[in-house]
Amino acid sequence: MTNAATNIKQWFLGFFRVWQREFYLVFHDVGVMMFFFLLPLLYPVCYTLIYNPEIATDMPVVVVDHSRTAESRRLARMLDATQAAKIYNYAPDLAAARRILNNHDAFGILEIPEDYSRRLGRGEQAVATFYCDMSLLLRYRTFISALADLQLAIGAEIQAAELSQVAMVSSAVPMTKINSDARMLGDPTQGFASFVMPGILVLILQQSMVLGVVMLGATASERRRRNRGIDPLQVQAPAGATLLGKVMCYLTLYAPIIIYVLRIVPMMFSLPHVGSDWDYVLFILPMLVASAFMGQCISWLVTEREETMLAVVFTSVVFLFLSGLTWPRYAMSPLWVLVGDMIPATWGVEGFIRMNSNGSPLYEQAHPYRMLWLLAALYFTISYALLRFYRSGWYTRRLNRRNQVSDNA
Amino acid sequence: MNLHYLTDSIARGWRQLASRRIYMVMLIVVPVLFGFFFLDLLEVGLPLKVPVAVVDMDDSPLSRQVTRNLGSTELVDVRCKVESFHEAQKKVRSGEIFGFFYLPEQFQKKALGGDEPTVTYYSNLTYYVPGSLAFKGFKTVAVTTTGALVQTTLVSTGIDSNTTKSLLQPVAIQQQAPGNPWMNYSIYLSPSFMAAFLALIILGVTVYSICSEIKYGTSPQWLRTAGGSMFIALTGKLVPQTFIEICMGMAYLGMMFGIESFPCNNHFSHLVLAMVLMVIACQAFAVAVCCVVPNLRLALIVVSLTGILSFSIAGFSFPVQNMYGSIGILSYILPVRYFFLIYIDQALNGIPLYFSRFYFVALLLFPLVAMPGMGRLKKRCLNPIYVP
Repeated sequence: MTNAATNIKQWFLGFFRVWQREFYLVFHDVGVMMFFFLLPLLYPVCYTLIYNPEIATDMPVVVVDHSRTAESRRLARMLDATQAAKIYNYAPDLAAARRILNNHDAFGILEIPEDYSRRLGRGEQAVATFYCDMSLLLRYRTFISALADLQLAIGAEIQAAELSQVAMVSSAVPMTKINSDARMLGDPTQGFASFVMPGILVLILQQSMVLGVVMLGATASERRRRNRGIDPLQVQAPAGATLLGKVMCYLTLYAPIIIYVLRIVPMMFSLPHVGSDWDYVLFILPMLVASAFMGQCISWLVTEREETMLAVVFTSVVFLFLSGLTWPRYAMSPLWVLVGDMIPATWGVEGFIRMNSNGSPLYEQAHPYRMLWLLAALYFTISYALLRFYRSGWYTRRLNRRNQVSDNA
Repeated sequence: MNLHYLTDSIARGWRQLASRRIYMVMLIVVPVLFGFFFLDLLEVGLPLKVPVAVVDMDDSPLSRQVTRNLGSTELVDVRCKVESFHEAQKKVRSGEIFGFFYLPEQFQKKALGGDEPTVTYYSNLTYYVPGSLAFKGFKTVAVTTTGALVQTTLVSTGIDSNTTKSLLQPVAIQQQAPGNPWMNYSIYLSPSFMAAFLALIILGVTVYSICSEIKYGTSPQWLRTAGGSMFIALTGKLVPQTFIEICMGMAYLGMMFGIESFPCNNHFSHLVLAMVLMVIACQAFAVAVCCVVPNLRLALIVVSLTGILSFSIAGFSFPVQNMYGSIGILSYILPVRYFFLIYIDQALNGIPLYFSRFYFVALLLFPLVAMPGMGRLKKRCLNPIYVP
């Protein structure tokens, strides 16, 4: 056999041995199994349960009615009838209403002025005031949108009644009117879980992969420390074969997890879920590869099993914001856009949401898809370089020398 | 006698913090970087000028007028005019725009002929903030366009313009947003998220520093330094961390209310007190977890889980009142929930301290909850067994 053929054979042999050994390592480590299996199993369910009520309904409101007329009571009744608000109580004045708000019993005050019905009767514009508690933007948004609809509904009613009074039969005048119709794309119910969960699911996949990979790396580092720089469980294989063999192991393990997280969880909670299943799988593949290689890069910084959690968990918050899910990427400064570009989940979240919620086919997500493969290549290169550097022995020699010094001391 | 145990323990606590790189990285470097990251990210306050498109199938003076109106609102930025609904959909799916405004064919003809045309606006709510802003901008333009047309018609039939105004909008509901009239996203998000981030770090570091003694078998020596008292041992270990963490908390408060000038409508010292109490309550929470599961990996998993979930479950974005009761109630075991409520009351709404009294009491209760389990932790510390 020629030399090249032997090399190739050796490479593949090493590749498969690493793949096999990685299986052994994963299944003999409860900590890693928790990250790989338990975390993606439970987290999506926990998260969705928190947000599953989707919308804020029947938020208590206090009414301060200075007018005390049929018209003002009608306004309050109509507010009560909206999905957003519920009349908690009437208060004699604004101070009393404020006190109810301060006691956290209500989240808004509707103040109807004394001249409310008088102005309506005179054909003038009547102005009521709504004070909204600003602690949560979701609450504010729901109130505002309900009030706008309420204003239009009452307006149309009064308009029709008054037009016939203003000395005209309204049908005689061609009454100009433009109807408008609002449609919500991707999240037609405007629910919170439906908005946030598809992105979180992808982030959970990345983070569980990174946590598991870093913990495996840190455990190997602990073994090396105990054995003077040699990991007894390490398989002799070329650097490329080692890296790829490990990733193949993780991908095999993640195949059922992808189906569960990206397909079954949205089904369980009736989250938006359009688009083709094959497209998700194909799309998420490079993200997992990139996350695994990113994990292997990070694992060189972590030297102890349990440090993994300290060092990785907090990044979830950072990655969530970098992904643009809560704060759009067009409003970020170029620096943060660039940092976000380096994180697989950013592209994963972006592409997955558009496929899962907006029903985009994979070919329309060519840009995120290409970026994910690019990141996979980038992190592979970095981890390859790090592994080659480690294997050059310089670091081990230095470590051993330092240990010797400390032993002598 | 006791005092020298305490000072020795505290000295040991400082030495432990200096012994490994991870402590200083987690206690100082990460929180500081996160503070800058977060405040800089949300610096703008509100992501105005959401990129949107107009689908103008009519191309008449009236439809162009509507397009111009859209362009003049601060909420949306009309990036392009596209030729068809499908093209606009495609742009939404590619993420180029967050919504579009659809003007149908014969829009002007129908509008002026009293034939009631329908304009439709589409907002992509898969991104909540830009989607909502686009929706708001579209709605405003849709309503005002109708208004302007009706006014023209009414005036042309001989009704004076004052009457038309009240006819157009007989009832107006003014919305007041006390505390955050700018709808500044950073004011609404930063205090809670930064506190929750600090809480996450505190929980992790506290558990790590306690349970790693068990992992390395140094816990008997740790107890010996404290004269065999678990309480003194914990106090000695945690006081140095508390000091650094409170400094970080103050730095966060300073960044938000000092540099960024977030509104603080009651006395600033209330927030300082809440932050100090939250730091201690978080440590107590971590100690309680260590008492229940005195195993480094499990305890870290428990606090990581609670720390990460607390961003959602503490109700910073989705109100606890609307969560399922069995889940919403869990928010009350999280110290950061109380900090958040105090922040809302004291800084945002500026109401008297009296109304927040229970939140302060709750934060004070956390250390008491950690007390009963100490015996169990001590037993484990005397016989350290490491489970990987």
